[in-house]
Amino acid sequence: MRAPNCAAKLVSVLAITGLAFAAGESRKDLHFKVGKHPTVSINNPYGPVVVKAGANREVVVTAILHSDRVELDQSKSHNRIDIVSHLLAGADRKTGIVEYEVQVPRDANVTLHSDTGRIHAEKLQGDVMVAGNEGPIDVMDCAGGHVHVRTLNGSVTLSNVHGHIEVMSMGGDVFMNQVSGTLVLVNSNSGRIKYAGDFGDDGEYDFTSHTGDIEATAPAFASIEVLARSDQGRVDSDFSLEPKHTPFLASAGSAFAGTLGKAASSVKLFSFSGKIHLKKRQN
Amino acid sequence: MNCVEFERVLLEGEHSPEQRAHLDSCSACANLLADFTLISSQAKLLLAADEPSPAVWNALESRLRSEGLIRPAEASPSRRDFFWRWRTAWLVPVAAVLAMVAVVRLHHPASAGDNAAVAKQIKVKAPVTVAVSSDDQQLLNTVNSHRPAQRARYRADLDDANAFIRDAEQAVKSDPNDVYRQQMLINAYEQKEMLYDLAVDHVSEP
Repeated sequence: MRAPNCAAKLVSVLAITGLAFAAGESRKDLHFKVGKHPTVSINNPYGPVVVKAGANREVVVTAILHSDRVELDQSKSHNRIDIVSHLLAGADRKTGIVEYEVQVPRDANVTLHSDTGRIHAEKLQGDVMVAGNEGPIDVMDCAGGHVHVRTLNGSVTLSNVHGHIEVMSMGGDVFMNQVSGTLVLVNSNSGRIKYAGDFGDDGEYDFTSHTGDIEATAPAFASIEVLARSDQGRVDSDFSLEPKHTPFLASAGSAFAGTLGKAASSVKLFSFSGKIHLKKRQN
Repeated sequence: MNCVEFERVLLEGEHSPEQRAHLDSCSACANLLADFTLISSQAKLLLAADEPSPAVWNALESRLRSEGLIRPAEASPSRRDFFWRWRTAWLVPVAAVLAMVAVVRLHHPASAGDNAAVAKQIKVKAPVTVAVSSDDQQLLNTVNSHRPAQRARYRADLDDANAFIRDAEQAVKSDPNDVYRQQMLINAYEQKEMLYDLAVDHVSEP
């Protein structure tokens, strides 16, 4: 009975694949030889972009185009590769979709842009520049470079990321798990900012929002100097901080300042009307 | 003389040399006095013909009672007439005083010990009709011509960015020397810059 089952599954897969491509989908495979620290740029208005570390000196691009109303423009100049999903007349949010899966050398610098699709970057050591609109943005296991993320309303998730990090979001929530660096800046409007980590690397951590809540969770052994203030929102800390002089009135419930441990890193949490909570990690 | 001491003598007609010296050195108090002067001058221009609706009078009466500035009349039959006469005679100065109190609170929102009262005032926000600047309108037109479905979202984002700028500017005005408020204002402008950048990025589509 196993053989007929397998055959049926195979037929189903082939049928679905055939239907998909009959509907106008096409696949493009691109290979580029590159040197050290190549720069790879992908601009894809509609659809996901997934970039992972692969073999050295090689960039492999797999693209699924959802219709003939979109085409791939590619260019390679020295150590730089540019790929653009070129929307043709009549393309829209469905027919303009291109799905990218890209493998780049670990030391590549990547610039990624998608309006509606998910953007994912993983295991990279170069600079990662990401711009989105609605789709979620994930960056994980990256270290050594700059990570700059800009989005309007897509959520941003950084996991195990270390380096120079800047995130700007209008309405998208920003989640950071095990993120550290010499500079970690998050500037949000209404999106929430959630941080869980140890505030390491003797870094500067500046989280600012207009109306979004800010929640930072740190271990009891964290070594930080904290300033927190919300003009109209509630401000709380689970820690008993050593008091510190502040240039502003640190009234209970709306602001606090103090140090923990040797105060190696600076943590600034500022919001206009969002709530701020510095939480102690429960082990 | 500091700002708190100056506020106590703010309404005095003549100011001493010490008070004038403080005014010369403190832009916040100078602005406060300028606002008071403006309100006083505008209050004198109020005419009986411009009398507000009964709902406004009732709200004012209720507010004055809650503040303890007036008490219920003992003889109930004449109470309404009494208040009618009272309000027409004292409306202008009382309205001016209330406006001045509001200005004082807004100029010094973080005075120690009165956080709750300030928070109440800040939370009560009248609906604001957000005007669109010519630059913003140009951006919206551009977005609209290429992505009609996204116009509302861009408009909402634009309103959010402008609201952040307004609030941050107000915060800087309340304490011009606060570097963190200044940074927040910079952040607000950076958000708007990002919004413009990302919107312009999209116009390369057909």
